[in-house]
Amino acid sequence: MMLATTDQLPGRAVIEVLGLVRGSSVRSAHVGRDVLAKLKNLVGGEVSEYTQLLAEAREQALDRMIAEARARGADAIVGLRFTSTDIGDDAAEMLAYGTAVKLG
Amino acid sequence: MSERVPSRDELLAMAYVDGELGDEARAELERRLASEPALRREVSALKKLEVLARAAAPREPQDHEWAALAREPLQRAGLALGWTLAVAGVLVLVGGGLWVLFTSDAPLWLKLGLGALVAGGALLFLAVLRARLRVLPHDPYTGVER
Repeated sequence: MMLATTDQLPGRAVIEVLGLVRGSSVRSAHVGRDVLAKLKNLVGGEVSEYTQLLAEAREQALDRMIAEARARGADAIVGLRFTSTDIGDDAAEMLAYGTAVKLG
Repeated sequence: MSERVPSRDELLAMAYVDGELGDEARAELERRLASEPALRREVSALKKLEVLARAAAPREPQDHEWAALAREPLQRAGLALGWTLAVAGVLVLVGGGLWVLFTSDAPLWLKLGLGALVAGGALLFLAVLRARLRVLPHDPYTGVER
């Protein structure tokens, strides 16, 4: 599955647009990670616990979007975007969306 | 040097994770996944590898410092002692608080209400923890670092 943030793929023709595909994931850190992250807020620097939390959510959202595109028989997803929101204090939502297409 | 030849199921699992199976073969494999724990484990392990490979980023200098720090005995001992004291403190406070409450002259409704609240909360937590532990081996995203 080819993924691109651009609307076109150079050298490849889009022969069919299959529509919007998306995948989202809401993940939270366990209490141990949260405690250490809160303590890191006191001293500054990267809060790696939350970097990891967002990365997990991002990969899961991406996989769900790809699975939806595969189910529709797509060859690629173009116009890929990510967006994130907070749900509650310690949970992160990542939404990946794009347009599933068939390539010539 | 000899290389092990993958079994048919291993090849099927690889094709499944890579999205290379046709509709019929994928549906058949998904039916088997529901009833074959060994195949489920194989797919989970492959999925984890795929996710890790995709998310792999070059290590930064600070990663080496974090890793070195995590290996230092003083850091490890400090974390272990810190967690032990914090958990022990919570247990003593909750246990002691309940003991004081139940041996006090507080009204029965208060004792029963708080007792039910603590017991209910503990049961709900155990149910959630059990569900998480059941899903954890099949969650390929826990190893992603950034």
